[in-house]
Amino acid sequence: MARLLEYEKARILLDKYGIRSVDSKYLLSEKDAAKFAEGGNIAMKAISQKALHKTKSGLVMLNVSRDNAEKAFAELSRKAEKYKPYKILGQRMAPSGLEIIVGGRTDEQFGKLILIGLGGIYVEVFRDFALRVCPISRHDAEAMIGQLKSKSVIAKDAGSEHMLVELLLKVSKMLSENDIAELDLNPIILHDKGYDAVDLRVMV
Amino acid sequence: MDINTRRKLFDILMAPRSVAIVGATSNPNKVGHIILQNYIDVGYDGEMFPVNINAKPGDSIMGYKAYRSVKSIGKPLDLVVIAVPAEATPAILEECSRAKVKSVVVVSGGYAEIGRKDLQDKLVEITRKGSFILMGPNCLGIMNTRARVDTLFLPTFKIDRPKIGGVSFASQSGAVGSSILDMIDAEGFGLSKFISYGNAIDIDEVDILDYLARDDETTVVIFYMEGAKRGKEFIKAAKMITAKKPVIMIKGGATEAGATAAHSHTASLAGSYQAYEAVFRQFGITQAKTMQDVMDFAKMFETQPFPKGKRVAIITNGGGVGVIATDALYEAGLELASFSKKSEKALRKIMPPIVNIKMPMDMAGDADDKRFAAALEVASSDPNVDAIMVIALFQTPGADSRVAASLINYSATRVKPIAVVSPGGSYTQAHRNMMESSGVPVYSSPDQAARAFKALLEYKEYRDSIR
Repeated sequence: MARLLEYEKARILLDKYGIRSVDSKYLLSEKDAAKFAEGGNIAMKAISQKALHKTKSGLVMLNVSRDNAEKAFAELSRKAEKYKPYKILGQRMAPSGLEIIVGGRTDEQFGKLILIGLGGIYVEVFRDFALRVCPISRHDAEAMIGQLKSKSVIAKDAGSEHMLVELLLKVSKMLSENDIAELDLNPIILHDKGYDAVDLRVMV
Repeated sequence: MDINTRRKLFDILMAPRSVAIVGATSNPNKVGHIILQNYIDVGYDGEMFPVNINAKPGDSIMGYKAYRSVKSIGKPLDLVVIAVPAEATPAILEECSRAKVKSVVVVSGGYAEIGRKDLQDKLVEITRKGSFILMGPNCLGIMNTRARVDTLFLPTFKIDRPKIGGVSFASQSGAVGSSILDMIDAEGFGLSKFISYGNAIDIDEVDILDYLARDDETTVVIFYMEGAKRGKEFIKAAKMITAKKPVIMIKGGATEAGATAAHSHTASLAGSYQAYEAVFRQFGITQAKTMQDVMDFAKMFETQPFPKGKRVAIITNGGGVGVIATDALYEAGLELASFSKKSEKALRKIMPPIVNIKMPMDMAGDADDKRFAAALEVASSDPNVDAIMVIALFQTPGADSRVAASLINYSATRVKPIAVVSPGGSYTQAHRNMMESSGVPVYSSPDQAARAFKALLEYKEYRDSIR
């Protein structure tokens, strides 16, 4: 049975392959939350093995400022009570932008698969995605992006396409070299300065 | 068994010089009878041995000396076809193994497909210990048009056997196999090999792709598959064959529910069917969604050269169909070509004033073979044109056999790929047959032709990408 990898461990894994994710830390107390929010608004997420869909379970609070941080921490703790044991993760809010998904899974026939698609909450509505077997070549990565109906919004210029190709190659390498049953980087937010993986779900 | 031995045995299976048919009988209602009859009908010229457990010394079946057992034939046979009930098969397979038979086709069903995995496991065990390869069980077996081998238990009067050609066709399912086989003949293209491999307890997709990749007589492969048994090896075999020749795949099971519960968005989007589609796309296999697409793609692949790009010229003798064809191109992800200035000038000189020299070029209802030939010649040398769709409506006053002849002449140059669209009744059908038997792919509607061009272009782009 696959289990969810500890958030911080997942983040270290992404770092190792040069995959960017937003600055984050576990918040231990109301004070701790307020302190982390001093550096800019944060998102708070209660993380539990029992609640894999955090948004659906109401375990996410977005855009929390320093002033609201203590109250938000208390409220989230109350909501998360029924999913014990849980931890509360604080993440720096990423700039807003288009949301994509990059993911992977181990297929029993063909091994590691890698996916890119239009992401966020509409991912299963539009089902606009491309899939390949790992490891992928640069040509494969380009073809994956080229295959998307949303290509012109996701990769709107040569620079952003190049960035996504590099990202796919890194994720492919990570999937190939590690024992990962399922991976969701959803959403990855595309913004002016590049991208940030905002939510990580690594099942090992 | 090492890969080289396996390959050698596969080659023998596909062109055996000695064949025993177990279950052969004079009773015309039995499968064993039909198989023997088919061998005789197609003119197999190797040694043939009917085997029937009830045969008495001196008996013969359909003019061939009958044997009581494989062993009593007394020589190591190239191929044994087993067409007796499942319960009796393991004992016969044991006998084949002891008699050093090189390959076996088990046509009978009654194994895992009806819940008798125990019987199937017996065959697996005997095969694993033996030094032969096995096709089936629950399959139609093989056809090799050049070597005149035909293990199919379908009477020749019920299903047409295609003429000799370059298309080879492998099918996990016997039913899909026989219907596509019948269609292949109806569409008029020639067959090289037919392989129906059923429950695949030994020979599977990987072996078959490997064989067809090595087989020089095969130029285009059609494959019907429900699932691969060895995913990683399948990918290797796919890469090897698509580097040499096109493979058109029709995969059953698109709507099957995912086997495992998904924990992530990725897993819920990318189920096992999507994984197959990804593999096909990544390793140059052309996926067809319908049996009609299979036929449409195959005749394009078999006869036409690669296009350089996606700009398709449309030359028509009917304006409306030209407009529909233009839409069909864009629908398929292609583009309408536009003539170069030089081509326009040349065409202006040739065509009567009524013809507007613009794509799609409507040459009017009175267009004759000279107009068609001239337009083809100009389009063929125009650098802005990658492929040519000719809409030849034989209902018009100008179109007759001479138009068909000029299209055949152009297709033979193999400069740019051509597809002819000719919808219609018996007069049209006569001309379609004429063109198709001369290697011109003809379609009933522009969307079929457009999808076939697109499939050819995608395969060409794959080949470019692995160079």
